[in-house]
Amino acid sequence: MSAPAPRRPLALVTGGSRGLGEVLARFLAAEGFDLLVTARGEAALSRGAAELRARGANVEEVPGDVADPVHRHELRRRVDRHGRLDLLVNNASELGPSPLPPLAEHPLPSLERVFQVNVLAPLALVQELLPPLAAARGTVVNISSDAALGGYPGWGGYGASKAALDLVSLTLAHELEDQGVAVVSVDPGDLRTTMHQAAYPGTDISDRPTPDVTLPFWAWLLHQDPRQLSGHRFRAQAERWEVPA
Amino acid sequence: MTDPLADRVRPGRREADRTPEDRGIGRDGVRLLVSRGPEHEDRRFTDLPELLRPGDLVVVNESATLPASLPASGGPGRFLLNLSTRYASDLWVAESRWAYDRPGPVPLELGEAFDVAGVRAFRIAPFPGTPRLSFYRIEGDVGRAMVERGRPIRYGYLAREYPLEAYQTIFSRVPGSAEMPSAARPFTSALVDRLATAGVPVAPIVLHTGVSSLELDPAHPEEIPVYPEPFEVPRATAELVNRTRATRGRVIAVGTTVVRALESAWDGCAVSAIRGFTRLYLKPGRPVRVVDGLLTGFHEARSSHLELLASFGGAERLAGAYRVAVERGYLWHEFGDSHLLLPN
Repeated sequence: MSAPAPRRPLALVTGGSRGLGEVLARFLAAEGFDLLVTARGEAALSRGAAELRARGANVEEVPGDVADPVHRHELRRRVDRHGRLDLLVNNASELGPSPLPPLAEHPLPSLERVFQVNVLAPLALVQELLPPLAAARGTVVNISSDAALGGYPGWGGYGASKAALDLVSLTLAHELEDQGVAVVSVDPGDLRTTMHQAAYPGTDISDRPTPDVTLPFWAWLLHQDPRQLSGHRFRAQAERWEVPA
Repeated sequence: MTDPLADRVRPGRREADRTPEDRGIGRDGVRLLVSRGPEHEDRRFTDLPELLRPGDLVVVNESATLPASLPASGGPGRFLLNLSTRYASDLWVAESRWAYDRPGPVPLELGEAFDVAGVRAFRIAPFPGTPRLSFYRIEGDVGRAMVERGRPIRYGYLAREYPLEAYQTIFSRVPGSAEMPSAARPFTSALVDRLATAGVPVAPIVLHTGVSSLELDPAHPEEIPVYPEPFEVPRATAELVNRTRATRGRVIAVGTTVVRALESAWDGCAVSAIRGFTRLYLKPGRPVRVVDGLLTGFHEARSSHLELLASFGGAERLAGAYRVAVERGYLWHEFGDSHLLLPN
């Protein structure tokens, strides 16, 4: 007789319809996670989810904008059906205008949108989903960028939002330690994605690797003790990924 | 990119197709080529304690070799699954091959279930940039499957099959390598005692090697990536390395795996105690900060291996050493002779 099947872990991936989010969702499904995926692009989201279901995965797609509180409520409702949330990946990001404007000329309304999606929405999702995250002693992964550190011309708006997100991640890591929730910041590195192309319209970005280059990193990260990871910032394409020995 | 080094060292070399024990000598009976600047001196491996100085530090890899080559069967027929790197007990990067001397990859669909040594497995994702490798989910006790049905990974150049013990060194302690970290194979406990007497301590790291797939076409070295490998530099070793550097002793790495681990643990001013995965690719122009000397073997003209070696004293010196090694009949591969690269 086989033992009763262990509960399958649940992951929520935002921006899960394309690029890094899609690659990560596919890998998590193959690794045995139940999945909630969300993105604004309903058609692409449904297509990806249907493909994963065809391979036997348990995937629900919830189209919507993470900056919209009503949509976040809906995500909470879906998570509550599972009772617990093991992994929240805040991947959905807003780049800002394309081509990227210098900060001195950055339209403020679009900068507000950048901060809403990249800083406030990830924090709001943690606030909304904290009980199920704590119930699972789950992990929050916030997708950052090297623009958060760089001061690269044109990347100031997006970079400032990711720098703010890094501080949100670090602070949450300390504040949520007692509840057993780990918070990690991940810079995936330059990738050949729609967003990266939007940052460099008309430029050939085929020298950048496709998002699957980060899979070994995710495979490593997902199998570390989350308490050892919490509060750290990792670069998926770095020479090494480490925790203290 | 072609590799001029590879072209220069290939012709005429002699391959060790058997262990030294099979050739009638002890493990430590192999030859040792000592390269110092442009000089290349013929010695025996047992001369090692005289070649080092009191205050030097020898660092070894404690990773033990797994019986990582497992029989598999499924839709495509019978094949081998050579486990390369463990990410979790049920998540491995592995190479599917038709046989030890017949590379794959075996055509397996994503999500397709197959049997590996009596355990169910699935190919779940391609490994980025390396078609012969994939991520596999293996349901069940892989460790027991390896003990019961696994064999050491081998390739076509060996004359016969050897038991797992032939692939362990006296330092092997932590199972995890797909292929033997072979540089330490000639060490005996008597030699370690002589090193201690000579004032040369031995300190461990762990780095689990993945598969090398030696038949890859060296004319296309860009297709031979350095993929992430698990490593750990313990606190005691980090401290010994830092003390050795501070007192002007030389840090001698036994094997390129030790170089990768120590250089990966360099934090900008010292070696720190860390555990993780490294994908560090050492090559000329990427300075070696920690390691002063390297004890290694003579290996296939893999770009990544030779580039790492060339980062000790340059490609010209390495090419010179390999030319000499070919002329003087040094033996290649994991059961072959040894090569000590020392600073000028």
